[in-house]
Amino acid sequence: MGEGKKKDVIDLAKYLEHGVRVKFNGGREVTGMLKGYDQLVNLVLDDCVEFIRDPLDPNKITNETRNLGLVVCRGTQVWIISPVDGMEEIENPFLET
Amino acid sequence: MSGRIMPLELIDKCIGSRLWIIMKGDKELVGTLRGFDDCVNIVLEDVVEYEIDEDGTKHKIELEQILLNGNSVALLVPGGSPEN
Repeated sequence: MGEGKKKDVIDLAKYLEHGVRVKFNGGREVTGMLKGYDQLVNLVLDDCVEFIRDPLDPNKITNETRNLGLVVCRGTQVWIISPVDGMEEIENPFLET
Repeated sequence: MSGRIMPLELIDKCIGSRLWIIMKGDKELVGTLRGFDDCVNIVLEDVVEYEIDEDGTKHKIELEQILLNGNSVALLVPGGSPEN
């Protein structure tokens, strides 16, 4: 078994002051500038914009948005975090070296 | 570059002010934040609850004081409102 050393699966420090796209459990999707985070992946986003979903198909986002401003994202509901300008591959977090 | 903002500290600063809470489903609430705990269960006063139906209609309910279970809270917006 592992030694129980806590290591973050994703290093959010490199995304500070960068645009990120966050998808939530339940289908909500927002973008914003990452201003802060904690170990539980709670996030602070500035100039946050939510993408509104199609009421008939909640899995589809429309082009409509609404501005939210400065927000806190709950880490328990965060599903995906990606940079606004593309995808980034991380080291395999399941490998124990 | 200034230090990063801690998420729970930002919520703490909001105690006493209006807070807009967006749940993971189609429900939102606005109320005065009285307090919260580590799980972000929240005590709110003078609350307006908004529910969004499939056809897009919003329903408003007003409540004096509530304890909101933090399980389904997705976003917290200090000082905001869905009426904008």
